[in-house]
Amino acid sequence: MEIKTIGVAGTLESSDIQIMISKGNDGIQIDLDSEVIKAYGDQIKKVITDTLNKFGINNAKVKATDKGALDCVIAARTLAAAQRATETTDKPELEVLQ
Amino acid sequence: MDQIVDLYLSDQAVQTKWERLLLKLGLSNFSSREVNTIDHTLGIVDDEGQLVGTGSVSGNVLKYIGVCNQGATPGSRFNQIVTALQQYQFNRKIFHNFVFTKTQYSISFQHLGFTELAHTEQAAFLESGTPDVNDFLAAIPRIPNQSSKKVAAIVMNANPFTLGHRQLVQLASQENDLVYVFVVATDASLFKTSERMQLVKKGTADLKNVLVVSGGDYLVSQATFPAYFLKTPDDLIKTQTTIDARVFKNIIAPKLSINRRYLGTEPFSHTTNFYNKSLINELSPQIKVKVVPRFSNNNQVITATQVRRLIKVGDLEAIKLLVPATTMDFIKGNQKILQTRIQKGMNINGN
Repeated sequence: MEIKTIGVAGTLESSDIQIMISKGNDGIQIDLDSEVIKAYGDQIKKVITDTLNKFGINNAKVKATDKGALDCVIAARTLAAAQRATETTDKPELEVLQ
Repeated sequence: MDQIVDLYLSDQAVQTKWERLLLKLGLSNFSSREVNTIDHTLGIVDDEGQLVGTGSVSGNVLKYIGVCNQGATPGSRFNQIVTALQQYQFNRKIFHNFVFTKTQYSISFQHLGFTELAHTEQAAFLESGTPDVNDFLAAIPRIPNQSSKKVAAIVMNANPFTLGHRQLVQLASQENDLVYVFVVATDASLFKTSERMQLVKKGTADLKNVLVVSGGDYLVSQATFPAYFLKTPDDLIKTQTTIDARVFKNIIAPKLSINRRYLGTEPFSHTTNFYNKSLINELSPQIKVKVVPRFSNNNQVITATQVRRLIKVGDLEAIKLLVPATTMDFIKGNQKILQTRIQKGMNINGN
């Protein structure tokens, strides 16, 4: 899946996560900012990477600002940002979330 | 529930309310110089219809952010307004934003994913989004073994590129292994950014160790240093020049192994003079600052301001003495267009 523009989803409010996806050429590179990075940093990155891979993105730069989001929220925001970045929002691929 | 609303400051009653809230929160500069640059303003309204928070955007800069935490979870209204402002920016395809704030609030922005680029005692400068300063630096060309070489930097607006600029670059080229010429990226001058870039490139094409690159958002840009483009009180110029110098010293220079910076003396522009002083203070001793006296031709000090005034009156003969052939060709070919821009109100007496 080709990234055509910058895609953003999510807010900076409590229990949410903001994901910004742009073009990359060196795998999925995640710049994560989270208050719980020590305990959950790896898990958050894994959810983002898995969601993107399932969607068909293997190279991307991701900026994530986490405010304590649960895994299901992280996956949903990642998918929304990815669909915006690939300009495919007219065909929601919700099976990626299962 | 709090609600996010649009605030239209052109409505006097709205502006009065807005100013009253910010005054209460300790923000008091409502000069038209600042307020007129605002593109859009948002507000937070509580259950009783009271304005309890606000924030504005001006280009890619977030401004006038303030919230009242009474009756709310600390931080939640701040997060709400910053999210709303970012959403507004994303909708108009601006994914990279800056904020200038009091140093004490820097940490609040850092909690929202902003990265601090520089701070002074009073002010902090942060960015958020993509592409950031690391992307900017990664895209700048480098030479082999750059870290062990003599690398110099010059920042110029070159509006337009004159013989004075040429001689400054030439001197740096002779004294160093590599010279970066950063051209100011903000498009607020008589010569458009693309034209200024072109003229600097053409005017230095024969100097093989000179790389001409855009200063982006980080070297004398509308974001770091608005006073360069607007008439501004001295204390504000001081803060902005210090921030600009620190971004250069702490972020730009180390990544590109720049160990010298060349400056032309500035006999006429108050702001540039201030900027030079602040650079000397901030950069030395880690980065050697070399101040080179303005070059003259026939006892006439060469300035770009002079060139612009001559374009206005159409005195091509006099311009010939001040600019290299490459710039001269451009002025000859575009004299009418340039004069039209001046007639339409482009200020030619600033920088």
